[in-house]
Amino acid sequence: MSVLLRLLARYRRATILTTTLVLSFLLMTLQVRHETAVVSFTRQVLLFTVSPFIKLTAVTVQGVTGIWRDYVDLRGLQEENKGLQRETATQKRRIDQLEEQALETQRLQALLAMRQASRAEFLTARVIGKDATNWFKTILLDRGSLEGVRRNQPVLAPDGLVGRVVEVTPTSAKVQLLTDPVNAVGGLIQRTRVTGIVSGNLGAGARVRYLPLMADVVVGDQVVTSGMGGVFPKGIPIGRITAVDRRSGALFQEASLQSAVDLSRLEEVLILMTLEANASSGAGTTFGAGASREAGTSLGAGAGFEAGTGRRP
Amino acid sequence: MRWFLPGLFACILAQAVLLAPLSLGGIRPDLFLLLVFLVSQRVSPEAATLLGFLVGLFQDALSGSPLGLRAFTYSIMGFLAARLSHDMYTDKPLALFWLLLGGSAAAGGITLALLTFFLGPPPLFPTLLRVIAPEALYTAAVGLLIVWLPQIRAALARAA
Repeated sequence: MSVLLRLLARYRRATILTTTLVLSFLLMTLQVRHETAVVSFTRQVLLFTVSPFIKLTAVTVQGVTGIWRDYVDLRGLQEENKGLQRETATQKRRIDQLEEQALETQRLQALLAMRQASRAEFLTARVIGKDATNWFKTILLDRGSLEGVRRNQPVLAPDGLVGRVVEVTPTSAKVQLLTDPVNAVGGLIQRTRVTGIVSGNLGAGARVRYLPLMADVVVGDQVVTSGMGGVFPKGIPIGRITAVDRRSGALFQEASLQSAVDLSRLEEVLILMTLEANASSGAGTTFGAGASREAGTSLGAGAGFEAGTGRRP
Repeated sequence: MRWFLPGLFACILAQAVLLAPLSLGGIRPDLFLLLVFLVSQRVSPEAATLLGFLVGLFQDALSGSPLGLRAFTYSIMGFLAARLSHDMYTDKPLALFWLLLGGSAAAGGITLALLTFFLGPPPLFPTLLRVIAPEALYTAAVGLLIVWLPQIRAALARAA
């Protein structure tokens, strides 16, 4: 035993480096297929220790940004007529505040409209943080398990799908965005009902993969969730096809996708808490206010969310 | 060493909240890596390895990456930075920039290799061009700014 300890002490540097590398490797291995309790617990502890501070910082930053905007406006106007400047600055500030309030009201109204239009129970959440790396696409929300948020709940915006909850602490939740390279969502080309897998692409938006080679897919086609996989209800707008890639010799074709939601400018989102699966007259209930209305696909139209009324070719 | 924890805390807040408006084409500088580099100059390779591991774990927890991905990367980077800091010390801005650029690119390379091993090969050229290269450039530029901030401030004071 003492020989072993002496050896460890002698090769302390190599021992520590090897231990940390093996531990990191082990952690990664444990979560490649299924996330184990150890990994999940470690993640939650780390996230829980910092998420209140992130929330506080996000709120402070929003406040300071508002004050700074007012300050910049004021400084710009001071160069003009001094007599009119005070009045103008005040009015400008008021307009800015009102515009900001109007924009926020618009966004919240859109969220509210979506919430009322669909037979689902939503929880509104604010985005308080973004992914700490440039490799993955996740956001941090200010709602957690205390408000009933659970893993795998879909997250939406008025224009369509945002992602799904992948990590929950009592006061915050981490959402994997549609464009995350690890993400995979069952997608459906609305016009031709062809299914594929929508997944993120490192540094380059999202792609629809595994589309049959002979399938009719053209630029501009709308893609909605297929409902397969059990995480996302059917009919939520995902985005539009921007390019189709057919390679000779390939078994499938792929397509680039422009997300329906501007994921870089998210401020508020809705977490889909529950969906009334037994609603009998939900066929006319459309999801969202935009693209899904054209499609007529319904959210919560029937058992298993699969009874959408989407147009067929 | 006493400013490691405040530094880590500041990095967490900056990376998750404050740097979002400063992103260029969706890319932000990697402050965690800069913290590892800066701390590693002042501690032993053993301590730098452990601190790199801790920093990486926090970054993993705050991102969508598998837990351990950045911990692995930063353990190596911390170890190497501490081990080579004496040999590679420089106070020339251009040399420092290239060192930071190389370090950041190396960290990107390790991450890419791990992702390839665990999740399958990502598209190589888009990843190099859209993630690793811009991140390395941005990180090196910000790192240089942080290291040279006292000198820049002194020069500005002298000029004033």
